[in-house]
Amino acid sequence: MQAAQTRLAKTQDQLATGKRVSTPADDPIASVRILEISRAKAQSAQYGANSAIATNRLSLEEQALNDSTTALQRVRELILQAANTGTLSDSDRQSIAAELKSRGDELRDIGNRQDGNGEFMFSGFSTLTRPFTRNAGGIVTYAGDQGSRVLQVGPSQRIADSDSGFSVFMDIPEGNGTFVTAAPTTNAGTGIIDIGSVVSQASWVPDDYAINFTSDTAYEVRNSSNALVSSGTYAPGTAITFNGVQVSVSGLPASGDRFTVNEAGTKDMFSLIDDIVGRLTTSSTTASQRSNLSSFIGGALQQLDQSLTQTQSARSGVGSRLSRLETIDTARLDYELELSSSLSDLQDLDYAEAITRMNQQLVALQAAQASYARVAQLSLFDYLR
Amino acid sequence: MANILSTGVSGLVAFQRALDTTGHNIANAATPGYSRQRTEFVTRQPQSFGSGWLGNGVDVSTVTRFYDELLGTQTRIASSSYSRLDSYAAKAQTLNNLFADTTTGLNASLQRFTNAVQGVANTPTSVPARQVLLSEATALTGRLQTYATRLNEIEGDINSRVASEAVSITTDAQALARLNQQIISSQSATGQAPNDLLDQRDRLLADLATHVSVSTVRQDDGSVNVFIGKGQPLVLGGNAASIVTTRDPFDTQRLNLAFQTPGGTVELGSTISGGSLGGVLDFRREQLDPARNTLGQIAVGITAAVNAQHREGMDLLGNIGGDMFTVGGVGVQGSSANAGSGTVTATRGAIGALTKSDYIMEFTSGGWAMRDAGTGANVPLSGAGTVGSPFTAAGLAIVVGGTPTVGDRFKVLPTAIAVAGMAVTITDPARVAAAAPIRTTATTTNTGSGQVTPGEVLDATNVALRNTTTIQFLTPTTYSVNNAGSYAYTSGTPINLNGWSVVISGAPSAGDSFVVSNNASGAGDNRNALALADVLGQGVLNGGSDSLNGAVGRFVGGIGVATNQAQANRDAQKIILDDNQTELDSVTGVNLDEEAANLIRYQQAYQAAAQIIRVTQTLFDSLLAATSR
Repeated sequence: MQAAQTRLAKTQDQLATGKRVSTPADDPIASVRILEISRAKAQSAQYGANSAIATNRLSLEEQALNDSTTALQRVRELILQAANTGTLSDSDRQSIAAELKSRGDELRDIGNRQDGNGEFMFSGFSTLTRPFTRNAGGIVTYAGDQGSRVLQVGPSQRIADSDSGFSVFMDIPEGNGTFVTAAPTTNAGTGIIDIGSVVSQASWVPDDYAINFTSDTAYEVRNSSNALVSSGTYAPGTAITFNGVQVSVSGLPASGDRFTVNEAGTKDMFSLIDDIVGRLTTSSTTASQRSNLSSFIGGALQQLDQSLTQTQSARSGVGSRLSRLETIDTARLDYELELSSSLSDLQDLDYAEAITRMNQQLVALQAAQASYARVAQLSLFDYLR
Repeated sequence: MANILSTGVSGLVAFQRALDTTGHNIANAATPGYSRQRTEFVTRQPQSFGSGWLGNGVDVSTVTRFYDELLGTQTRIASSSYSRLDSYAAKAQTLNNLFADTTTGLNASLQRFTNAVQGVANTPTSVPARQVLLSEATALTGRLQTYATRLNEIEGDINSRVASEAVSITTDAQALARLNQQIISSQSATGQAPNDLLDQRDRLLADLATHVSVSTVRQDDGSVNVFIGKGQPLVLGGNAASIVTTRDPFDTQRLNLAFQTPGGTVELGSTISGGSLGGVLDFRREQLDPARNTLGQIAVGITAAVNAQHREGMDLLGNIGGDMFTVGGVGVQGSSANAGSGTVTATRGAIGALTKSDYIMEFTSGGWAMRDAGTGANVPLSGAGTVGSPFTAAGLAIVVGGTPTVGDRFKVLPTAIAVAGMAVTITDPARVAAAAPIRTTATTTNTGSGQVTPGEVLDATNVALRNTTTIQFLTPTTYSVNNAGSYAYTSGTPINLNGWSVVISGAPSAGDSFVVSNNASGAGDNRNALALADVLGQGVLNGGSDSLNGAVGRFVGGIGVATNQAQANRDAQKIILDDNQTELDSVTGVNLDEEAANLIRYQQAYQAAAQIIRVTQTLFDSLLAATSR
């Protein structure tokens, strides 16, 4: 009867708590699993929190990159306006330069954006350091680093929650990524060099080249050690091809004029805009000055497009990370659901079964009590009267 | 005629005795340990007369006690086993309840600590997140210490239990000795067994068996000798020995049992088995000590793993990380019986080699020897025991000194006191080393496609760790370090230098350079925090096969399994005990129906015997009447 009562009390306890297993001794194997699953759930919840933070930061970054795209597109429009070298006066160019300057500052402000925690979004690991400042020489420098913080968003998944300002604003390939053309302002003629193109990447020998006009119609191409690479006769608009690249000069270069075809390095957005502003505020009234400006604006447009591409690719990187996060979140929620249901299978009580069991135990106890009472009454002494 | 009277009187007396016995049985129907008795009748010697033998009536030969010695012994053994399992299971249940909670338990604390590290990794510059981490570290330490305290309380419970058991056993032994004396004198005086005294003695023996396992030897004079453990005489005839508690020679907090002899005390050690005493002693040895050591092992593991990673990081102030936790050292307890002036000190070496065992270092005639305190297995020592070349075994480095005497012993506790000394050493949230101390930079003028990893720290103690190091490519396949040397470059192969490791991949051009430098401003760097969050899942214990999370899960599960087993064994033993008890009761127990029947039978026989006397009287009267005329 005591045993029956103990069993009944146990069932009653299960019904009251709704849990099948209340201590490891009840079912050691299940309880170890319960501990493990509870831990996995807590861990998963933390990954969820991490993922939410990463999503938040990446959304902020996406916004910043959108804003910088808008600013860069406006810069592009302004450069196109300035490209109209024949009709614009110096003062027109100055007013364009003024707007360009403010767009440059806007870009810098975007680069210096902070997130909700007051951390600079684009300074790599140095999130407490303002990444973009003008130094004493008026040049925008990057004070951050090239680090990119990653967050643990799954057991084996880590996702970068930022891009460094270096990779977004600074580390932009120059020219077409292989070489960059330029016309020195000292040229006396009206020759204009285009941005050129790569004909054969394999034939390209990285070096800084100069196209020197030895007369109005003859040119030679020399490398940095002044060795002759190529030479030819010049006619306006004809392509000059050497070492797998092709550039074309139009207009009428004077003897002694030179154009450079330099190996591409990197050029940051701020110095690009500063350069354009500087160039537009310089007077360009003579034909040769205007030709020179045209060469310059061709190069600047190309460089701006590189900046736009860089920003867009950073943005698509952020977008793909956001969509990866979404996939991870969905998978994690499924996993959590599964954990919850395993947990429930392990520790939750089957009420129907427990209530049936309780009824059976009650009947058994009552039967034991009733039969005891009947048997206990039986005594021979009752008949000794 | 006189014959019939004496026959009648004999019947009258015999049935009176039988009624006495029946009454005694009925009166003691509910007395624990009482055995049913029966009055035994024998016919008297018949009297011979010419034509045959004439019956002379009845005599009471003895009063028999219904008791089965074999069943009694069996029941005692079963009851010893049951008491052992019962007290073991009860203690195990306490331990089990202590560790069971899934929301406040060790697993949960560990996970909360890991989550707090992740919190710091999410926002390394956030002081509140760092504060949460320190709070969780303190909570984890506190949780471990609460467990250690509770284990000490359980040890204290066991001590007081051992002391009270010693008193119970001694009291029972003395009572048994007195009963032996009474039984010897009663039996020698009457030649009859003193049934009620025997019952009392069997009952005392049964009671003693619930405390400790005993063996008994019955003597011819009616006394019983009682032995405990491996044949130590507890009761010899009319003499009882005393069981006393003694302090453990290695641990004065711990009580052991000893045999009091005129010459001093003799340790009973692990020879005691069975009974509730055996149960708690077994529990202390099999569950409590390993639990304390495992808890210590976990604390040591957490401390070692977290500290090692934390020391590779850099805090918000730009300093290399220090230790996050401290933990208690290796306990060494000299025996109180040591005669020499030898000293033993021990420190932990390889964390993965630490075990759950305690060890005994003994100075033998062949030098120092070490053995497992639990199993007694010899543990080979390597090294010379000096500071320069310590003995190494089981993850410990042991240094000996002084002049020990042969036979001096020291108990070495690798992890038992680790938890008590555990603490969080960082108080300033800024000192949490979430960042890595180095960072890498690809030089802006690089023209190749070479890329560099952020780098990882191999040895934070390297003094040159944070020196600026420039790796410059001389050609696409060779590079110099700080403008010196020329090393072959293979894309993706780690470059290890100054305690760090970076990987450059891709195709760098000649003249490209990469700089490894101090990450002093890297407040937002979380690389070390990420690594820190990982360490609890990595194998550090038991030869690297066990992660801390896994060890905790297995520890808690192990206690659950042990408890479950103890309860199942107890329940099984309970059935055996009940069976034995029922069988014994069926022999010794008083059946009131039977006694009622006997009552009627003897009453009627008594009345019949009285009738015989009346017949005799009538016969006399008729005879007197016939002769008086």
